[in-house]
Amino acid sequence: MSLLEVEGLTVGLVGSPYPILREVSFSVEPGEILALVGESGSGKTMAALATMGLLPLGIEMTDGEARLEGQSMVDPEGRVTRTAAQISMIFQHPVGALNPTMRVGHQVGRVIQINQELGRTEALEAAVEMLGHVGIPGPERVARNFPHQLSGGMCQRIMIAMAVACRPRILIADEPTTALDVTVQAQIFDLIKSLASEIGCGVIFITHDLGAVAEMADRVAVMYGGQVMEESPVRELLADPRHPYTRYLLESITHEVDHRVEDIGVDFALRGCRFGHRCLSAHGKCNQFPPLLEISPDRSVSCFLQLEEPI
Amino acid sequence: MTLLEVRDLYKTYGHGAGAVPAVRGVDLELGGGETVGLVGESGCGKTTLGRVLVGLNTPTSGDVIFDGDNVAGRLQEAEFRRRVQMVFQHPQSSLNPKFKVSTTLREPGRLLTSKSSEEVEERIVETLRVVGLGQEYRSRRPKQLSGGQLQRVAIARALMSAPDMIVLDEPTSSLDQSIRSRIISLLKDIQEQRQVSYLFISHDLSTVRKIAHRVAVMYLGRIVEVAETRALFEDPQHPYTRALLSAVPSLDMDNQRKRIILTGETPSPTSLPIGCSFQDRCNLVHDRCRVETPQLGETQAARSVECFAVQ
Repeated sequence: MSLLEVEGLTVGLVGSPYPILREVSFSVEPGEILALVGESGSGKTMAALATMGLLPLGIEMTDGEARLEGQSMVDPEGRVTRTAAQISMIFQHPVGALNPTMRVGHQVGRVIQINQELGRTEALEAAVEMLGHVGIPGPERVARNFPHQLSGGMCQRIMIAMAVACRPRILIADEPTTALDVTVQAQIFDLIKSLASEIGCGVIFITHDLGAVAEMADRVAVMYGGQVMEESPVRELLADPRHPYTRYLLESITHEVDHRVEDIGVDFALRGCRFGHRCLSAHGKCNQFPPLLEISPDRSVSCFLQLEEPI
Repeated sequence: MTLLEVRDLYKTYGHGAGAVPAVRGVDLELGGGETVGLVGESGCGKTTLGRVLVGLNTPTSGDVIFDGDNVAGRLQEAEFRRRVQMVFQHPQSSLNPKFKVSTTLREPGRLLTSKSSEEVEERIVETLRVVGLGQEYRSRRPKQLSGGQLQRVAIARALMSAPDMIVLDEPTSSLDQSIRSRIISLLKDIQEQRQVSYLFISHDLSTVRKIAHRVAVMYLGRIVEVAETRALFEDPQHPYTRALLSAVPSLDMDNQRKRIILTGETPSPTSLPIGCSFQDRCNLVHDRCRVETPQLGETQAARSVECFAVQ
C-alpha cells in the first residue's frame, strides 16, 4: 500500500456530462517526489484540490477516491475528514496566499497553535524556530514583519514554513516558483527537497516546466485535458516518452517547432481520448476513452497504441 | 550596420532619498536584422530600458541613437513611431478589448502616410497571413481569442507599420510551452523575410537561447555581460551570469550542471552598496570590488564583461 493512493478521480461541474478530470490515478510513496506536469488548463491543480477534498463550489467529485494510508479523505456524507489535515499545500502566489494584515510570525504560529494545541507564546517561539529552519536570516526580526515588507522568495519560504510546521505526510507544492526568479527558484527547490527528505513526507510537485521536473522529481504524471497521459519514473520518461502528447511536449522544448502547425492548447476533445483530434497517430479507436495501461511495473500510458505494439 | 546605439543611458524614477535608479549607465548596440536578447531577473531594469528605447520613457541622461539620429523624446514624430514598435508582455491588456482585430491593425496602418486606405486594408490581409491567422479573425475581438492568438495579433499590430526595430517585452512569458515555441519560430521567420531587428526582453533563458544572436545580461540596472548567444551559454564569464545559467532547470539529467546557488537576494536599488552591485552575492569578490565600480570591458572578441576578477 502506498502512502497516498488516488484512484479513478473523476470531477466535473455539477450537472455537466463532461468531466473536468477523468479517471485520474496516481500514488505517492513516503519520501518520494511525484511531479504533475501539464500545460495550463490540463487539470493539475484540480487534481491536487480534489485529492484534498477542497473542490470549489459547483464542482463535484462523481467517482474515485483518495486514500492516505488506506484511510479515505472524505466521509460517507462527503465531508472532508481530519485525515486531510495531514496534507499541506504551498500555493503559486505566496504574497497573495498570506494574510496581509497579520504579522508573518503569527501566521505560522497560528498553524502550530491549532494543530499541536500549544499556547500562543510557545507557538510563536516554535514559529520563529521554524522560520530559521527554512533559511530566513534573522527570524526574530522577520517574524514581526507583514507580508508586504518581504520579497516574493521570503514569502514563499514563510509559506513553506507554514506547510511543514505540522510535519505533514504529504506536501503539495502547486507551481511554488512560477512567481519567482530563477536564482531564487533554485534556492526554493533545494529547500523543498531537503525538508521533504528530513520529514520523510511524500511530495506532489505541480509544474508546467519539464526542466524543473528533471531537477526535482522521482516520478512524473503527464496531464492533458484532465486526463493522465503517462506516468513513469522521470529518467525513463525523458529518455523514452511513450505517449504522443509527451513526445510532442518534449519536442517543443528541445527542437525547433514549425509555427504553421496548429497550436495545442486547452482546446481538447470532449469524447474519447482528450488528445485524439490533435494526435498524429490517432485512429478510429481513439473515439473511446483509453484507460491507463501498465506497460512495465512502474510505467503506465493512456493510449491505445500501446496495445497494438507490445514491448 | 548598427541600427541602434545606446550610450551611457541613465533612467531614474523619483527624486531625493527615494529615487530608484532603474537603468544605470547602459551601453548597447543593435544591428540591422539582429536579435539581441536582454535577460535579467525581475526589477533589474530590462523593461525600463526597452521602454526608453521606444520612447515611452524619457531617459534621465545618455543618448539613444537610432539610425544616426538621437531619438530621445521623439515619440511625437510619426516616422519614428512607424520605424520602432513594441510588443508587450500581456496581450490581454495591451489590446483594446472593444476593438475588432481589423480595427486594432488599422491604427498603426495610419502611420503609413503614403498609403491609401485600400492599400492599408491589403496590408491587414497580408499581415494576418504572415502571423498565421486566417481572414476570419478580422472580425474577432480579444475576448474571443486564446493567449497564443492574442500574441499573434499583437505581433501583427507591430508589423503593420513595416518597422525596422521591434522591442519585444517578455512576449512569450504568459504562454504555454508548446505555444511559446511556435511564437519564437514565427518571430524568426518574420525576421528572415523582413530584416527587422529585435530587442527580445525576457527572464526565460531557454527562450532567449532559441532566438537571440547576442545576449546582454542585466543586473540591477547595469549590463554585466554581453556576448554571442552560443559563447555566453557555453562559457559564461561574469559570476552572476554563471549563477543565473546554472540555476535554470535542465532536461539533461545525467549532465546536470553543477549548480551555483546564490545566497541572499538582490539588494534594494534605493540603497546600493559602494563598488560592484553584485559584491554581496559573488563568490569571486575581493577588496577592490567594495571600493571601485567595475566597467564593461571587452575580454575577448565580441564579448564584454563587467567584473574585475574576469578582466
